[in-house]
Amino acid sequence: MMFNPELAEDRKPMYRHSQSTLYKNGDNTRPISVILVSSGSRGNKLLFRYPFQRVAECTSSLAAKQRSPYALNTAGDVLEDQDGDSREQTPLTDEQLVAGFSDIILATILATKSDMCGKKFELKIDNVRFVGHPTLLQHPHIIQVSKTDPSPKREMPTMILFSVVFALRANADPSVISCMHNLSRRIAIALQHEERRCQYLTREAKLMLAVQDEITTMTETDGSPQSPFRQILPKCKLARDLKEAYDSLCTTGVVRLHINNWLEVSFCLPHKIHRTGGNHIPPEALERSLKAIRPYHALLLLDSEKALLSQLPLDCSPAMVRLIKTCSAVKNLQQLAQDADLALLQIFQIAAHLVYWGKAIIIYPLCENNVYMLSPHANICLYSPLAEQFAQQFPGHDLPSMLAKFSLPVSLAEFRNPLEAPVQEAQLIQMVVWMLQHRLLIQLHTYVCLLVPPSEDEPGLRDEDPPLAARVGGRSLSTPSALSFGSPTSSDDMTLTSPSMDNSSAELLPGGDSPLNKRMTETLLASLSEHERQVILNIPAAQSPEDLRMFARLLHYFRGHHHLEEIMYNENMRRSQLKTLFDKFRSVLVVTNHEDPIISIFQSPME
Amino acid sequence: MGMTSRIECIFFSEFHPTLGPKITYQVPEEYISRELFDTVQVYIITKPELQNKLITVTAMGKKLIGCPVCIEHKKYSRNALLFNLGLVCDAQTKTCALEPIVKKLSGYLTTLELESGFISNEESKQKLLPIMSTLLEELNATGACTLPIDESNTIHLKLIEQRKDPQIVQEYDVPVFTQSKDHFIKSQWDLTTQQILSYIDGFRHIQKISAEADVELNLVRIANSFYLVLIVGCVFLPSLQYSNVYCTTPKVQSLIDDKSIQEECLTYVTKQGQKRASLRDVFQLYCGLTPGTTVRDLCSRYSQQLQRVDERRLIQFGLMKSLIRRLQKYPVKVIRDERSRPPRLYTGCHSYDEICCKTGMSYKELDERLENDPNIIVCWK
Repeated sequence: MMFNPELAEDRKPMYRHSQSTLYKNGDNTRPISVILVSSGSRGNKLLFRYPFQRVAECTSSLAAKQRSPYALNTAGDVLEDQDGDSREQTPLTDEQLVAGFSDIILATILATKSDMCGKKFELKIDNVRFVGHPTLLQHPHIIQVSKTDPSPKREMPTMILFSVVFALRANADPSVISCMHNLSRRIAIALQHEERRCQYLTREAKLMLAVQDEITTMTETDGSPQSPFRQILPKCKLARDLKEAYDSLCTTGVVRLHINNWLEVSFCLPHKIHRTGGNHIPPEALERSLKAIRPYHALLLLDSEKALLSQLPLDCSPAMVRLIKTCSAVKNLQQLAQDADLALLQIFQIAAHLVYWGKAIIIYPLCENNVYMLSPHANICLYSPLAEQFAQQFPGHDLPSMLAKFSLPVSLAEFRNPLEAPVQEAQLIQMVVWMLQHRLLIQLHTYVCLLVPPSEDEPGLRDEDPPLAARVGGRSLSTPSALSFGSPTSSDDMTLTSPSMDNSSAELLPGGDSPLNKRMTETLLASLSEHERQVILNIPAAQSPEDLRMFARLLHYFRGHHHLEEIMYNENMRRSQLKTLFDKFRSVLVVTNHEDPIISIFQSPME
Repeated sequence: MGMTSRIECIFFSEFHPTLGPKITYQVPEEYISRELFDTVQVYIITKPELQNKLITVTAMGKKLIGCPVCIEHKKYSRNALLFNLGLVCDAQTKTCALEPIVKKLSGYLTTLELESGFISNEESKQKLLPIMSTLLEELNATGACTLPIDESNTIHLKLIEQRKDPQIVQEYDVPVFTQSKDHFIKSQWDLTTQQILSYIDGFRHIQKISAEADVELNLVRIANSFYLVLIVGCVFLPSLQYSNVYCTTPKVQSLIDDKSIQEECLTYVTKQGQKRASLRDVFQLYCGLTPGTTVRDLCSRYSQQLQRVDERRLIQFGLMKSLIRRLQKYPVKVIRDERSRPPRLYTGCHSYDEICCKTGMSYKELDERLENDPNIIVCWK
């Protein structure tokens, strides 16, 4: 049988050490450089760049550099490879990539024309990608000149536009590029505001250029090369802010600046924050997941309540504080709303915000029927830092032994030992919470699918009925709300409509064999094919009208996309009721257990 | 040629001695507006520092890819000839595959100019226009273009889709052909590949092939990685044994939702010469794979469903489409005794597979050895 080889390439080897991917990912999510340019009456200027070029290398060892065919030349001559092969033979380090661009050329290419302002700027040169958001400061003719003033017009250098540009490796993930653009835009908005208010940017630019001029004159006189940007740092707050942004992006992925000690710019790079097993969770997957939050989910904080509260800014919303104080791993979002006295909508918003910033994850609330298993990405190494942390947190217990207990799917109820003191049980719950926080466990849910045995008397190539999933369309049960959720770092507000409660099917009708009920059952079964209907009706359990009615009512859940707990929540049914029903109709149902793909991305992001 | 790299326009821009940077030719005509060119000209006809670099700029919903050339010589007015032959695409297009083409074209034109003054001569320069037209047409249609320029020069261009890096292959991976290997004439291959070809049966792992074919392991690995994946169509899967344990992933539902995967699956897993397996049977089999259940267990529990299904192909398909995943055993020596040596292999970092391969023990031997050791616990994941 022939395969489509492209599809097969999607498979990733199960236990390949992902070190090379880790390295690559780490490389591609961090910027190479941050550059501030401006354009105005003094022409195009590069105001600041970080990291600094190693100037000594650039000038004195230029001759040495020219020997190597792989080095970027700064003198402008064209160095051609012997065979005219223009491919990069050795990967240049990040610094070399951008260091090769002189200040002047950067000023020329990054300070764009005014008609490129207000939009995303993207420029790729060989292996470097520059991304920014050029921003117009003022219309060139706004400068007021008093007509009655007889004195000659003083030449006031004016800035027309500026741009905060990030240089990345060209093969950075498009979502990373998008995020960097976002940050550039946010900083630009703050700078534009401060410029209008008190000419902050102009002042800082003046300082920067003054230092640059100073250093240039010094270099001309003593001939010892220095980096002007190093001297700018102690004098300019803006330069320090930009350096901080760069450093933060390279380390934690969380940026927090106070432009002019006044306006706050905060930003997080999800690729750095949401990492599990060496891979990052793509922002789109994150957003999909957040759109699918249901009231029966729970929010699990990843830090202690105290630590989290101390990280919040002074002017944060009191609702957030209340939520953090009230939330718990055993409480679902609906209960949380009641306890914190907040609207469910608000809870959803704040929860999504916390998740996006890597401060919390979505789980199914802890209860004794939950079944957990080791995550395929769990680090079970004896010497891992996690093992150490666990031993410190829970003296007398070791992580591998605990993890071994979850080798096979096990429900929390199975740990219950009536002879043990209740404090043991409490500790177990704490350990499970710890393991969930550290992405060591996945939760398994039961999913059901309707598959009727095919009839025997069909000739040769039968045209199989399209499965139920394809036929029972229309009812969207998976999302409760239209969560229009761009990245919260964009200026769009998260608009949420309230989770619709009309997901449950027909109201509980009075029991009995009333004609109304009968008709209802018939209607519900109408979406099935004749053959399927026959088979179902022949099942002994179908003779009981109540059972049949329940079956028909839940039919649309049997597509393999709704787990047991969701059905329980939506239909207000007990677990035992459902399990009995499944058992009665097992000849047409196939049951399987696996993780909930929507929220499992927090535990095992590899798709 | 997919829509992914559609070229909207090809342009030839140069620095005119009196008019400055301009677009001399473009096909189709008038595609690049005056406004657009004004905005991006600094990236097209550039300062010397940016020569010979591949520059892609996005503006006004378009992406322009070019490689500026500067040839210095006294004979040119202003002592230099500056030009750039570039492509224009929609801003959303993925243009990586086009970059080598732009680079090549810039190289060709440079050569032509140096050899025969192709560009600086007004008459021969006009030949560019039909060349650009043909390029645009053929590259969009077939992704390749061969153009004779004059008696001694021909341009050969081909769009090559970017390939992912070949996967790292481990000793205990099993090569499985995704196309019938009879399709390929053996003699075309190098000796090593020919030697190992017959040992690839979809069930022997690389170390075994290496031993039986008497070919050194590294060579086998290299041969496997490059030739087979890129040319023949072959994937590498972990080895299959009846003691293996698998479990379903959420993707197993795609067997129900996606008709094409269904078709592919049922055709692949049906036993030779049997009536096509039913979806229900196959789905039940996959769902029967649970933690704690070996393939052997599956076979005894679901013998009825397996009448028409080849269980080995079932597992293979499931792995290839990520419908199921393998659960591995990881022994961990929970240290009790301070004086004993720290574990080297039983740290939780090495699976049974790896340990067996490294030490030469069989699964059963390893099992027996570890079961008797009270200090060792086993994690499955």
